[in-house]
Amino acid sequence: MEFPRLFALLLIVLEWTCPGLLSPVRPICDPRVLKHFIQEAQDAEVAMRSCREGCGLSQTVSVPQTTVNYDDWEKKDGLEKAQEVQTGLWLLQQALDLLGPSVTNTALNNHIDNTVRNLVSINAVLHSLNFQEYTPPTNVTSLDGTWRVSSATELLQVHVNFLRGKVGLLLSGAPACQHNVS
Amino acid sequence: MPVEGAKLLFICHLNRPQMFVEMDIKVHREGRLIHNRSLFIELVFLLDPPTNVTVSHTGQQGQLNVTWVPPPLKYRDDSMMFEVIYAPADSHLGQVEVARASSLMILRDLQYSTKYKVQVRVKLDGIVFNGYWSAWSEPVFIETLPAEIDPLIVSLTVIISFILLVLVLVSLLSHYRFLLKKVWPIIPTPDGKFKGLFTVYGGDFQEWLGNTSGGLWLTPAFIYSEECPSPLEVLSELSICPSLPPKASEVSTTTTNKDKDTKTGLGESETTSQEHWLLDRLRAFQQDPQPCSQSSMLESQDTYVTLSGKRQSEDDHVEDTLEETLPLEVLFASRKTAMCESHSDLGSVQQSSGSGQLSSQSSFEYTNNVWTPSAPGYTYMAVADSGVSMDYSPMSRVDDIPKGVIYANDYKNEIPAHRRPLLLRQYRIHDDR
Repeated sequence: MEFPRLFALLLIVLEWTCPGLLSPVRPICDPRVLKHFIQEAQDAEVAMRSCREGCGLSQTVSVPQTTVNYDDWEKKDGLEKAQEVQTGLWLLQQALDLLGPSVTNTALNNHIDNTVRNLVSINAVLHSLNFQEYTPPTNVTSLDGTWRVSSATELLQVHVNFLRGKVGLLLSGAPACQHNVS
Repeated sequence: MPVEGAKLLFICHLNRPQMFVEMDIKVHREGRLIHNRSLFIELVFLLDPPTNVTVSHTGQQGQLNVTWVPPPLKYRDDSMMFEVIYAPADSHLGQVEVARASSLMILRDLQYSTKYKVQVRVKLDGIVFNGYWSAWSEPVFIETLPAEIDPLIVSLTVIISFILLVLVLVSLLSHYRFLLKKVWPIIPTPDGKFKGLFTVYGGDFQEWLGNTSGGLWLTPAFIYSEECPSPLEVLSELSICPSLPPKASEVSTTTTNKDKDTKTGLGESETTSQEHWLLDRLRAFQQDPQPCSQSSMLESQDTYVTLSGKRQSEDDHVEDTLEETLPLEVLFASRKTAMCESHSDLGSVQQSSGSGQLSSQSSFEYTNNVWTPSAPGYTYMAVADSGVSMDYSPMSRVDDIPKGVIYANDYKNEIPAHRRPLLLRQYRIHDDR
């Protein structure tokens, strides 16, 4: 007699506390989402170009390669694409974490904070599209497919190009969005 | 390849274009670097213009539907931006509409029955990819549909005009009588007052009198049995006060007509008695400066009606009974109510005069009948009886008569049947005094 009651109570409690677990994540297929992130990244890059002092990287950082060849891209499978994108995003996050403390300009700091938040949001979008979560190994910096940059401007430029290139291609070609779009 | 203006255009075909990465371009001539440029390929796109531009009519007025095929580029469909330019074929100024990531557009608010020219071009939107506007596509000409009458507007116009018409009709009907009086005024006719005069007797007044009212007047017994004084007072030329009973005179007039011979003897005898009576009256008047007989009670506002002319001749016929009774008098009170009754009485008097002995006096010419008012302060009215109609002069005070204008007035004749109550009323007026 009491078990159904307890079970119902448990379900109700779980519904309140963990709504995300019980409800499926809706795929974010709107291309305007990524375009918004790209525009904000472009604004940060432009702002960084006008910075003269107190806006440099203290050390060189590894960044993902942004080169895209459509023929080569199409030859890769979905999993490889997803892992490549997630690795690049992880690298960019590491680099921006190093850049943040070096920047003294408050306006630029806002841009950098915004950029870091956007990278987290992009990961959430990838998760919504049912891409398997992938954490690159710690020795990824020595792998092929990475570049080394030494200035903040270059870092942000790579960031913009990466979003426009590989991230965009991955999101626009995501299988979760294919049956929505004709 | 050589181009104009001493420029050379070099075209490079890239087998494996690499996007999203900086591309360095260096131009060497004869071993020397003459140009060095870095760019991103995806930011300098110049696309081909859209193809298959089609313009068609939509179902509505002043609209056109434009469709095209974008240049076939993978991964860049969402980033394309299109511009449509349209203008009347003979105009140089065109209107521009932008469409993003779409292959069709509806042009609105176009002129009717006009030939339009439509062109399309494409460019990348600049977020992910960027570039320059393409060339305009080949122009497409189309003529818009002619204007049609909107059935909604027509139906609304009809309904509103119908409602206005109903309102006007309702307002007209509510003021129907008022408008009818203004537009078609009623011409008064005497039909209502003379019952049967026009319908039965065809306008023959004599006949009508004879058949409806004359009988009553011709039977003095009927009158005297009620013992009501006659309301008509006759003033002679010389007498100051009216003294003769007019009814008797009227009666005598008619009787004279009927049987003159028989009455003459009686008339002579009556004349003498009448003269005696007249002298008595004169004496009484001189002694007692009051207005004559019952008229002593006349107020200053009362009026006298005089029948001018040959009253002396009519004085002959006085019946004994009349001598005993009070002299018949006609009193015209200035009160309007009484006036109406007097009018009617006069009318009745007039009616009784059938044969019209009094017709000789038909005008208001008093040159031979100088009649001085009996007493100052009284209002007098002159009456001319032509046997057919009686004309009254306007009432005027004693003082005003010499200078008053004497002219005919119209009068209202009551139906003879009303005479009785009016006589009674006259009697009452006498009593009041």
